[in-house]
Order: sequence, then structure tokens, then C-alpha cells
Amino acid sequence: MVLFPPPTVVAAAVLEWIRSGQFFSDLLASLFRVTTGFIIGGALGILLGVLTGQFPVISSLLSPLFHILRPIPPIAFVPIVILWFGLSEAGKLFLVVWGVFFTVWLSTHIGVQKVDRGLIRAALMLGTPRRQMLQEIVLLGALPYIVVGLRTAVSISFYTLVAAELAGAFAGIVYRIEIAQQNLQTGQVMGGLAALGLMSFIADRLFAALAERIVWWR
Amino acid sequence: MKLALASSPASVESARKQPAIQVSNLSIVFDTKRGQMIAVDRVSFDVAPGEFVCIAGPSGCGKSTVLNTIAGLEVPFEGEILVEGAPVYSPRPDVGMVFQQPHLFPWKSVRSNIAHGPRMLGKSKTEAYAIADDLIAMVGLKRFADAYPNTLSGGMQQRVAIARALANQPRVLLMDEPFGALDAQTRAVMQDNLLALRDRIKATIVFVTHDIDEAIVLADRVLIMSAGPGRILREVAVKLPRPRSSSVMVEPAYLSLKKDCLDVIRAEGLRAFNQSDAD
Ligand SMILES: Nc1ncnc2c1ncn2[C@@H]1O[C@H](COP(=O)(O)OP(=O)(O)OP(=O)(O)O)[C@@H](O)[C@H]1O
Ligand SMILES: [Mg+2]
Repeated sequence: MVLFPPPTVVAAAVLEWIRSGQFFSDLLASLFRVTTGFIIGGALGILLGVLTGQFPVISSLLSPLFHILRPIPPIAFVPIVILWFGLSEAGKLFLVVWGVFFTVWLSTHIGVQKVDRGLIRAALMLGTPRRQMLQEIVLLGALPYIVVGLRTAVSISFYTLVAAELAGAFAGIVYRIEIAQQNLQTGQVMGGLAALGLMSFIADRLFAALAERIVWWR
Repeated sequence: MKLALASSPASVESARKQPAIQVSNLSIVFDTKRGQMIAVDRVSFDVAPGEFVCIAGPSGCGKSTVLNTIAGLEVPFEGEILVEGAPVYSPRPDVGMVFQQPHLFPWKSVRSNIAHGPRMLGKSKTEAYAIADDLIAMVGLKRFADAYPNTLSGGMQQRVAIARALANQPRVLLMDEPFGALDAQTRAVMQDNLLALRDRIKATIVFVTHDIDEAIVLADRVLIMSAGPGRILREVAVKLPRPRSSSVMVEPAYLSLKKDCLDVIRAEGLRAFNQSDAD
């Protein structure tokens, strides 16, 4: 076994990984977990962030709870998730959702609270009904914050993917790295790490490009 | 003499018309860390329909507070405000407001900023954009109709804000130091623009400023306020001919009006100074 395999060995391992067809099933499994978890966690985060940011009653009920749960690293939940969900896909999604949710919730909550009072007063003077204030002013005013939260959550969803796949999986990039490590295939381990890094990097770049379009007035 | 006036046709006319704005015995108290603070102390005044009234006074004397209360953004602690005879509880679309900061919606183009009000009042997009385009022409921003606010200068932004406030065709237009953040040159241009605009819109205007020159150039009547707590010291009628422009500032009649105002302000300043000395 080599602790520091030369690039040729890594390349050979990656080629073999691709040729066996396992690479694509691993990639698909990991991508599915990351994107599904990101979408569910992000949507819940935005929804609850708007609710707690906008309505003090809801905030006084939920915010203390969220602030207690938020600092717990998702990886600490792996044992309980295995008890709750076994090795099912739901457990893995739960971990990614958990990681994404709090970041997006907090930035949405702050964004909603930081919406310029002056804009709200101007909108009130122009006859904006309370009901439409949310979609016309509050959501758009908070959007830059929400986007920052979502961007941070892209990286977080990859961190939590590691925890999720180490919790027992049958496919996935991190799962493959773990198997390779158990078989002392360092080339494969390195190749897996490179694939994970590349995925996370591309996701971040894509989201950054998307963010420019979401906040279109900047 | 008084009797003769009362029976003249002009005052019969004014007695029939109710004031556009009636502020009676308005007091506003804020809760602060050091207890309650009287920001505005029993202020009363009327504004006739179509009149242009300036409220002038030092920083912190409660000018914005009075204006916000007329707008329905602040609640009176005591006293009453009637706009067109009806008490004010909350903002109403026939009362427009221009703030010291433009407060334009950064995600909307100039056109959709101006169209926002009509849209909220249920006008179709086509109708609202037609209204907006008229106003854009009126404030001279045709080239910038599709621009976003962050690409405009401060003066242009404030012109958009004025156009936006006019889009709902308000019967009352409230302006809170709208030119306060602009340089002297832009400011003079904006004052002339506003005077020209005013002849076309026929709204009642209450304009807040701490600049006595600005007040006299624009107003039919200047209310001079004093600070701590905010009260109205004096009303000065400005009988300078219209149409007016900022060049009126060199006329002898203007200068004597300004002297009257400054005398009032100086006397109040001295009084406040002596009082604080005695404390
Ligand atoms: N929401 C508030 N809470 C507590 N105090 C307030 C509040 N709003 C205004 N004040 C106080 O009331 C007083 C009057 O304020 P206001 O903003 O009306 O003054 P202003 O005449 O408009 O001053 P400026 O020319 O600086 O705008 C000030 O002393 C201010 O500190
Ligand atoms: Mg003010």
C-alpha cells in the first residue's frame, strides 16, 4: 500500500472507477442527496425564516428552539438518525436538510428583519395593502440575504453529505471513499476526494452565477 | 373692516371650502430610555386646498413627526388631524409623501417604481405604465425610464420619488426635506422644478425644511417651529408673486420677509440659550 500514491495511480483508479460504471451510480446517488436535501432544507428555511422574521408571535415560539438546535453539528446526529431511519435514504436526506435548514432560516430571518423601514413606509404611502407588502417589498428586500444564506448552504450540504454517507450507504462518492479506505486503495481514496472537491466547487460556481441573476438589480 | 371682509365673495368661498388639512392641538410623546419626551407640543394649523405651506425649524424640533402624523404613519398622542374633513388613522393613497431619502424600490426600474402606486390601487399594468410615462416626462427623466435606482444621481432619484408620490394623484402632497441631501446647485434646480410642477398638479403641499430660504421661495405661508418641545412660533404669509423661481431671492420684498423670519428665529434662539443657562 502507498500512503501518497503518485498521480498515475490515482488516474488509473479513477479510470477503473468510471469504466466499472460505479462512478456514475455513486455520482447520481450523492447528487440526489445533495440537491434534494438542499431544495427541501432551503425551502423550509426560507418559509420559516419569513414567518419568524415577519411575525413576532411565531418568532417567540420557534426562534429559541432553532437557536438551541442550530449549533449542534449534523454529524452528531448520525447515531440517532440510524436509530430512527435505519439505512434508508430518508435518514441521509434528513441530515442534509438539517444542515441546510438552519443556515437558510437564519439568513432569511435576519434579511426579513433588516428590510429597510423606509421602503415599507414608502410602500404604505403608495397604498400597498399589508397582504401584498410581503411579496412586493419584504421578500425582495430580504432576497440578497437569502441568497447569501443559500450560497453558504451549498457548501454545508456537501459537509453533511459526508456525515450522511458515512452513516451507512450502498452508493455515493463518500461511501466509495470509505470502502476504498477499508480496502487500502489509496488511489481510489484520493480520486474520490478529488471528485467530491470538484463537485462542491462546480456547485458553488454555478450557484454564484445563478445568484447574480436572482438579485437582478445589483 | 372685518365684517366687510367676511361678506366679500372671496371669504364666502373660503368659508364654504373646508381646509384640506386641519391639525388641532396635536401633541406627540415618545417613550425614551430617560422617560417620556414631548416631541410636539399642542401644534395647531390649517392648510387651505391648493395651498403650499412650508414648515421650517431647527433639526429635532418635530417637523418630521408632524408630517408623519398627517401621513398616518404616526399616531397622535393628543389632538386630532383631519384631512379633507376625515380623521387620519393610517396612510391613505390620496395623501402622498416624499421622504428625505428617496426610498425607491431598488429592484424596480424607474418606470415600475412610479407605476407601483397605481398598480396597488388596482390599475392594469398598461394603465399604470402610461401614468408613469407621463410623470417621467414631467420630471425630465425619459432617458432613464428603464434604469434602476442605483444608477441614478441623488437629484434624479428624488425626482423619481416625487413622480412616484404623484402617480396616485394625491390631493395632499407631504414633503419631508426632500432636497436636504442635495448640493446647493441641484437643490435650486429642484426647487424651480417643484414650483413648475406645482402649477400643474394642483395638490395641497406641506413641505418641511430647515432652510428658511427654501421655505420662503416655495411657500404661500411659512410656519416657523421651535425646538424642545416642538411648537409653532410664528406664521409668515409669503405674498411674493407667482410664477416664482429661486431667483426671487434677490428681490427686496423677499429680503424683508427673510429678515422677519430670522428675527423670530434669533429671538427664540436667545430665549432657549438664556433658559439653558439658567438651568
Ligand atoms: N420613534 C422615535 N422614538 C423616540 N424619539 C423620537 C422618535 N422619532 C423622533 N423622535 C424625537 O423627536 C424629536 C423630533 O424628531 P423629528 O424627527 O420630528 O425632528 P425633525 O424636526 O424632523 O428633525 P430633522 O430636521 O433633523 O429631520 C427629536 O428629538 C427626536 O429625537
Ligand atoms: Mg426630519
